[in-house]
Amino acid sequence: MSPTKTEQLVTASLKSRRRQETSFKLLGIAAIFVALFFLASLMFSILSKGLPGFFQYYITLGVELDRERLDPAGDLSDQSLFDGQAKKIIQEAILAETGAKKRKEKKAARKLLSNGSDLRLVSYVKANPELLNSRQLVKFALDDDADSYFRGFVKKQTPEKQRRLSDLQIDYLDQLQADGLVSYEISDYLFFGSASRNAEMAGIKGAAIGSLLTLVVCFVIAFPIGVATAVYLEEFAPKNKITELIEININNLAAVPSVVFGILGLAIFINIFGMPRSIPLVGGMVLALMTLPTIIISSRAAIKAVPPSIRDGALGVGASKVQATTHHVVPLAIPGMLTGTIIGMAQALGETAPLLMIGMVAFIVDIPGGVTDPGTVLPVQIFMWADFAERMFIQKTSSAIIILLLFLIIMNGGAIWLRKKLERRW
Amino acid sequence: MLELGETIVSCADVSVFYGDTCAINNISIDIEKQSVTAFIGPSGCGKSTFLRTINRMNDTIEGCYIQGRVTVDGDDIYSPTIDVVPLRAKVGMVFQKPNPFPKSIYENVAYGPKIHGLANNKNHLDEIVEKALTRAGLWAEVKDRLHDSGTGLSGGQQQRLCIARTIAVEPQIILMDEPCSALDPIATSKIEALMSELSAEYTIIIVTHSMQQAARVSKRTAFFHLGDLIEYDSTDTIFTNPKEQKTEDYITGRFG
Repeated sequence: MSPTKTEQLVTASLKSRRRQETSFKLLGIAAIFVALFFLASLMFSILSKGLPGFFQYYITLGVELDRERLDPAGDLSDQSLFDGQAKKIIQEAILAETGAKKRKEKKAARKLLSNGSDLRLVSYVKANPELLNSRQLVKFALDDDADSYFRGFVKKQTPEKQRRLSDLQIDYLDQLQADGLVSYEISDYLFFGSASRNAEMAGIKGAAIGSLLTLVVCFVIAFPIGVATAVYLEEFAPKNKITELIEININNLAAVPSVVFGILGLAIFINIFGMPRSIPLVGGMVLALMTLPTIIISSRAAIKAVPPSIRDGALGVGASKVQATTHHVVPLAIPGMLTGTIIGMAQALGETAPLLMIGMVAFIVDIPGGVTDPGTVLPVQIFMWADFAERMFIQKTSSAIIILLLFLIIMNGGAIWLRKKLERRW
Repeated sequence: MLELGETIVSCADVSVFYGDTCAINNISIDIEKQSVTAFIGPSGCGKSTFLRTINRMNDTIEGCYIQGRVTVDGDDIYSPTIDVVPLRAKVGMVFQKPNPFPKSIYENVAYGPKIHGLANNKNHLDEIVEKALTRAGLWAEVKDRLHDSGTGLSGGQQQRLCIARTIAVEPQIILMDEPCSALDPIATSKIEALMSELSAEYTIIIVTHSMQQAARVSKRTAFFHLGDLIEYDSTDTIFTNPKEQKTEDYITGRFG
């Protein structure tokens, strides 16, 4: 049987159709590879810089925990310990280790230690009062310049004038290392420290707590309002010009640059309502404004995805509109709503610009204890650290980025887990 | 003229509009109590729309409004003093596609009685659920897995579950909108048998595309065409001796 005309035409066109298909596929694969390449270089850059930032160099010194000098009032109160001579005791210890005698030598040796060493000794004494009046080995952080030397960022070959460490200091450091006093350990300052101008003492705790408080405020405000708005617009609102206008506005708000919300917050919450600057409460409110459109849009999509037959079924047995909504539609839409909310919150967690506008960029050493204490947030902390000149801040910046990314992964993973867990099929 | 026993639904000069489109044009019809009435007609003839006016399910459709008078048990259901909640408890509905709630079989049936407060306690509710499932002919099949999801049942079982859900509220009228169009012949025959049984207690109004089904289950048949009620008579008359040419053309398969 000879092929029909249609068959002939189809066969003739096959070759070009196949070619199209192949090139389309190749294009897609190429796009994925380009994306993967950028992702991989990003991860490599951040991990290679950031992982060392989780560690830092410590020095172990033998210190005389002389009660009279450390705790002059003898009651271990903060004031008494503050009045004590913790700093001097540590300096004596480092001078003894290095054998510095002359004034210039002493100054060089003292500068090897972190500025926060005395605070560390005070908290050590507070935690272990029974060790007073004995000699103990205590670990102190090295100054960030000394740290950079051990990491190889400061080189001996560089002329003395061009580096931040003198030849003398380098000799001391080599000597201390040879004595086995220097150790490279996980940085407790990074996790438990707060904002600091001393790179070796700077940590993310304050910013992380600030982020947490801000997000809590954001969630408490944005989730109920967003869900209620979505339910009303989807289930109850009449379709007319006004609701259309509201809908268009919500969609537009989702695309408004976040910094604009910051200016809005500054104008309304701070200037008109007179709320204080830099507090997580205002930050959370601003982020809530920013997150609301995302939550509303995703919640409406989730409600729309509930088949109308479920509503019909409920209405058909005599449920009122509110009952049909609260008993059936909302429970079925909750996974989608939560997913949208968590993604919105993750966006808010990474937001910097609007928080700069309301002053959460201030240098705050205290860890915020509540939503009305001044604070900062992780991305702003990263932004500030990236601005500092010290070598060690570069690593800390990358470490903080890794931690922020971890938070984001955890939140997005949580969203997926929740959706899987709560999802029901019909 | 058609002889009817006691009527329960009475419609006078009913027109239904979707925006500017007239879906139902000036229909008057009375439905007999405790019998099966079938609405037949080609797609888009307005029979489903008309069915949904009887328990005001059309209220959920934007831009739909109605003229004329529909009474159920003597009450004008479109009067402003009528609340749709008790109306829909009295006039239940089974839909074209089985739509059990994505909950357990038990909860599906118990939902109506729960929201209306029909059960005094847990035991009473259990009884209502068992009775409804038994009357829907589903009890034997599901009694061991009442707490499995209702959506895990087969299509025919799901539809019977939906019927059980409806009769658990003890309605007087059950509206069925093509209840068998998504089912296979065996499931269909089960539902048809169920309808005949239920018609002893309930008034059933069924919309169907299958003329055989209308002939098998219904006592009266109404033929709709393009929003008009062409003919309404006893099923025998409609299928053997229709008065209108259009009815005859439709049931003999000449159009539709």
